[in-house]
Amino acid sequence: MSRVLTPAFSIFFILLQLDPRQIVEEAQRRTTTQSQRYEGTLRVIDAKNKLTEKRWQYDRIGSHGASKAILRFTAPPEVKGVALLVLNHPDRSSDQWMWTPALNRDRRIALQDRSTRFFGTDFSFEDLEERDTNQFDFRLLGEESIDGTTCWKLQSTPRQAKVSQYTHSYLWIRKDNYVFAQIENYNKDQLVRRAHYSDIRNDQGIWTAHQIDMHDLKRNSHTILSIEKLQYNVPMKDDAFTREALSRES
Amino acid sequence: MRCCCALLLIVCAALDCHSQTYTQRGSLETQSTFYPQEAKNDRTHVVGESLFRYEGFFNPSGLVQLAGGLDFRIDTHLQVDRDFKLSWQDRETRRPIGAIRHLSATYHKGPVTVEMGKQFIRWGKTDIVTPTDRFAPRDFLTVVDNDFLAVTAMRFNFEKGTNTIEAVWSPRFTPSRIPLPNQRWAAFPELPPGVTLRDAGASFPGGPQSGVRWNHAGAIEYELSLYRGFNHLPSFDGTPRFTSTGIEVDVRRFYPKIIMAGGDVAAPAPWFTLKGEAAYFSSTDNRADEYALFVIQLERQAGEWFFVGGFAGEAITRNGSRAADFAPDRGLTKTLLGRAGYTIDANRNIAFEAAIRQNGEGVWIKSEYSQLLGQHWRATLDLTLISGDTGDFLGQYNRNSHAVIVLRYSF
Repeated sequence: MSRVLTPAFSIFFILLQLDPRQIVEEAQRRTTTQSQRYEGTLRVIDAKNKLTEKRWQYDRIGSHGASKAILRFTAPPEVKGVALLVLNHPDRSSDQWMWTPALNRDRRIALQDRSTRFFGTDFSFEDLEERDTNQFDFRLLGEESIDGTTCWKLQSTPRQAKVSQYTHSYLWIRKDNYVFAQIENYNKDQLVRRAHYSDIRNDQGIWTAHQIDMHDLKRNSHTILSIEKLQYNVPMKDDAFTREALSRES
Repeated sequence: MRCCCALLLIVCAALDCHSQTYTQRGSLETQSTFYPQEAKNDRTHVVGESLFRYEGFFNPSGLVQLAGGLDFRIDTHLQVDRDFKLSWQDRETRRPIGAIRHLSATYHKGPVTVEMGKQFIRWGKTDIVTPTDRFAPRDFLTVVDNDFLAVTAMRFNFEKGTNTIEAVWSPRFTPSRIPLPNQRWAAFPELPPGVTLRDAGASFPGGPQSGVRWNHAGAIEYELSLYRGFNHLPSFDGTPRFTSTGIEVDVRRFYPKIIMAGGDVAAPAPWFTLKGEAAYFSSTDNRADEYALFVIQLERQAGEWFFVGGFAGEAITRNGSRAADFAPDRGLTKTLLGRAGYTIDANRNIAFEAAIRQNGEGVWIKSEYSQLLGQHWRATLDLTLISGDTGDFLGQYNRNSHAVIVLRYSF
């Protein structure tokens, strides 16, 4: 009896592994934390290879579709204090507000404006959202190698409720640790942005890419985000992620 | 004094074992303004100004923040006082050499935030003209390039989910700073021969100001606000005196009592965001007008472009008996307003702003090129063109077209 059950179970398990939604949900589950904090250095390299450096502090409470995040620029000096509040929702696009100290006012980032670049970087406002798997349909396309590691290649398509600048994306998820290796975002047939994840380390039991290279193919510029001083499950309060808190320096 | 004790108590009560942080930022800015034409009351062609600004933010605990900012400035055109003192009230006619730009203590716990001290309070959603922004006096010494002044107030904010309620009480009035009478941004009416004007100072109101607003940030964001206090923009009363040389009119500034009821809305549409703001101003002072101001604007960010276009309007329901007033907010009504910005790359951007009066009697166009030089320096070139009839709010500055070069070092 057990001789029959073992191969059957193995086949079932393989099939389970090949369910694209389960792959993405497993990747999401493995990165689910109570909070996250890091200091990010952004090196923006334009088409003429000119380098600009910016730094931000990133705080997030909750995970994925149920999270809230504030990122606050700490350098260069003239953008110090500029901050973005992102309130993610499991069933729809996030709400975003940007605080500019010079104006003493926050500005809501409208949905139709989310495809624009965030403060001179190659990340768009939409790229700063935390996405929930339930907002997408997935299709497994096969396996490919990225940086010498075997990855599942999937196609994700936003569902109706999700308004996105991208019509579809290709995701490469590493088979060894379920970390994203690469994401290519398309608008119809045109590749708009490519995010390449590298320098993957285990922080507090969570495999995390410490370098994200976002390439804007239209402008042929890219931004390398290096993640430093990363901490998970830091005690944070919900009231630090409000519009009122956005205007407070920290 | 009572206010200082309260601030101290809050700080002491909140000093627990929480990690303390201090952040700071500042800048040194030098600006040169070139006016190709002489004005009737001002022959100066070049004005130089330097401003040192420092801001610090101290979090003694997770619940409290102390924020402060200092301005030190000097200029070549006597827009800045020459007597050194550190100003708190911003009631001087000239800019003070030293000023406490803001100084406040904030206590926050859960959904509640209380801020006390000199602070910036901004209401409303529209740009250029903001009818409900009643706690935001400005420095209008150079009318078209103005800067906000902080107000001394206590602010209570309750934010829960998509709703925010804010109540503000300001014990002491902060007026807007208006153009100096002997300089080009002060425009006077044509006077008959033998009549002269004399600045008789200002009567500052003594009572407090208060306001409350409710904001809902759903798919459509809207806000309702009420304000009771004084207009931070002055009106003028004239008292004629007969002298041996003719008639001298003593012109005194006063700040009429106003009650404002207003609201604003921001509704995203597939191609743009529609923003609207309107307010009705009534007054128990018969010298003041009663009127409504409204603004409708469309906003869109596409690629590297940012566009804002709109129309500001006014409807007067009662004409007051005051002789005149200085009202840039009302002066920019019945006007088409526009702003466009383009980010060339991570270091360079250009912007255009325009205000064109509905009757075509006044036009203001500003173009700006700005470039970041390294990590600390930014150079900006502004070109402003103003034309129109002298009877129009914008047109009266038709000899004040100018170019500005700004060099700023930020740290």
